[in-house]
Amino acid sequence: MVLATHTSSAKRSFGGAFFDALGTFYQRRWLLKYFIQRQVTRSYRRSYLGFAWAILGPLVWVFFLTLIFSEIVGLRFREVEEDPNLNFGIFLYCGLLPFLAFSEALNKGINSIKGNAGLVQKVVFPLELLPFTNAIASMIDKFFGVGALLIVLLAFGRPLYWTVLALPLIVVIQVIFILGLTYLMAVLGTYLPDVAEIMRPVIRGMFFLTPIIWTPERLPEQLRWVVDYNPLAYVVNAYRDVILLGQLPGAQATLYFTLFSVALFVAAFALFVRLKPRFADLV
Amino acid sequence: MTLAVSLEGIGKRYRISPTRSSLLRETLSFGKVKRSHDFWALQDINLEVQRGTTLGILGRNGAGKSTLLRIISGVLQPSTGTVEVNGRLTAIFGLGSGFNPEFTGRENAMLNGLILGIDRAEMLKRFDEIEAFADIGEFMDQPVRTYSSGMKSRLGFAVAVNVDPEVLVLDEALSAGDAAFKKKTLQRMYDLRESGTTILFVSHSMGMVKKFCTDAVLLHKGRLVTQGDPEEVADRYRELIERAQEKDGTAGGPDRGLDDMLEREEEEDLEGVGSRNGSARGTGEAEIEAVRVLDESGEPAGEVPSGGTVTVRVNARYSADLEESSLGITLRSKKAGVEVFSTDTGLEGVSLGPRRERERATADFTFGVPLQPGTYTVDAFVARQGDPYLGRTNGAASFKVTRAGSELSVGGLVHLPTKVEVHGPGGELESPGRPS
Repeated sequence: MVLATHTSSAKRSFGGAFFDALGTFYQRRWLLKYFIQRQVTRSYRRSYLGFAWAILGPLVWVFFLTLIFSEIVGLRFREVEEDPNLNFGIFLYCGLLPFLAFSEALNKGINSIKGNAGLVQKVVFPLELLPFTNAIASMIDKFFGVGALLIVLLAFGRPLYWTVLALPLIVVIQVIFILGLTYLMAVLGTYLPDVAEIMRPVIRGMFFLTPIIWTPERLPEQLRWVVDYNPLAYVVNAYRDVILLGQLPGAQATLYFTLFSVALFVAAFALFVRLKPRFADLV
Repeated sequence: MTLAVSLEGIGKRYRISPTRSSLLRETLSFGKVKRSHDFWALQDINLEVQRGTTLGILGRNGAGKSTLLRIISGVLQPSTGTVEVNGRLTAIFGLGSGFNPEFTGRENAMLNGLILGIDRAEMLKRFDEIEAFADIGEFMDQPVRTYSSGMKSRLGFAVAVNVDPEVLVLDEALSAGDAAFKKKTLQRMYDLRESGTTILFVSHSMGMVKKFCTDAVLLHKGRLVTQGDPEEVADRYRELIERAQEKDGTAGGPDRGLDDMLEREEEEDLEGVGSRNGSARGTGEAEIEAVRVLDESGEPAGEVPSGGTVTVRVNARYSADLEESSLGITLRSKKAGVEVFSTDTGLEGVSLGPRRERERATADFTFGVPLQPGTYTVDAFVARQGDPYLGRTNGAASFKVTRAGSELSVGGLVHLPTKVEVHGPGGELESPGRPS
């Protein structure tokens, strides 16, 4: 039993606390499962179609984006001679998915402790589960988004590349990246209420600094660093590479992104574990 | 005995600052500007709670009761001192607070159990028990947003008390639900107490603390003022409140009436649940004033070793002139829920004689208790042969039969006087002791 002996003031080594906290994910796996399930299905609970909206929602969205930008506005995202259907709508949507995962990680992360005051103040509860739940639930949501994208690609008669099989690997690294961000934001948002206000312009800025509505090829040489040093740009490009273009992302960039994500996660999680005893006083 | 909870030098400090930005200015000026001050919600708390104790925590609003419970349960970290808790701890601060309105009662019960730290498999096993205890019928499968607030707290309480904690921490959770449910929760608390659960709870109800607790502490302005016998601590608490009322100039007068009313209401709620003041019934021609359980030396006895002797002293008061009446008692086993025996002065061959109105009578019933360890309650009554009871009270007193020494207790409820002889195959009596 988890609460078998609780000795709240026993001095434990910090490393021990770090791995204990990691261990709770396994110990409380059922709770995690229910939490995530609750988060994912929450918005569909009262609707008649229920969970079908998880896929219907993104489907409608990508359909309209495609229809408007390729059929009505006729905006060409880039000139690809042999593939004139490679249009703005699909490209935009494919880039939006990782961006939304990113912005949700920031927004939900900030509130993951504060928004659960009941659990933080009233129950003896492993708080590290809360940011995790938010991050995973948001990624599951994006999973349905990818599903909708693939359905639309098939519907428009576009080829499906074998490189799509590499997407799960990219997603695994992306999850570590998102978890790191969420834990960092959970700590910052709990300690500094102003972070929520600071993050709003930051997220908006990231939307324009990342090649979502533009392509990296259009960037002048002296501004290449905007994409090179932007981890979010890597994810956006990787998604487009494997889903739309049938190519694998660069090995070096992948390595850098992986190292960055793991470092971010370890640092943010360690910070979280160290500071979590004080959270109940702060919310 | 082992300690369930041990607190050493516990203090909790909060910083009070006029605004958030003044806190920032203070930080940036490296202590040159001082706008905030420290507030100690708790200070110098030393407390040891033995396993199996029921500890009531009394104190006025803001005395630090909830903070203390939160520190014990590990939700809050103390600013100074150390906390040690041995055993599985379940804490309830506000019932059903973790419920999600969109999900059904069943789903929420599961989630609540998992949050409290119970295995999923264990929760599935206990589901029937929880459902029966909450007793909300088909609503169990409806979203919680359709529940009344009473139903919510019933479900919350059902989950919390059906998880068999070793240390149970309650923050005024007992006031949930209607009288019937209150009784049920109290009964459950008694069962938990009997099974050895350590219970810590905050209450404003002195009656509750007096009746239910084995120990009590009084907190005042973050400090532990008194600890010990519930009666004494409750008296100190009453003094404290009276002093505060005097300061406000609201003592005496109608307030006194209000106090009495509150207390009486409390007692009515607690009626018949293992309490020492039972319910009065009968025709009203006589009234049981007190029932006490005494040991062989005439001292009040709470515990009697199995095979020992107790005396039940019954005080009755007559409200009418009566030519003939008898005083009697009924002993019940709480665990088995059966009547062990019932007798009265007439059956024992003692006559009370004629009694006038307002006259009192006292009878001592001394009997052996060759009984199974457990709790036994005593009903007392005044009766006239063949007539309904003139006055009676149920569960007016109780005592615990403990195991005598290291002896194993026999099976069943009563150890009837028994003589054992062992015979050989030819019918000859073997010598007592070990058969050869």
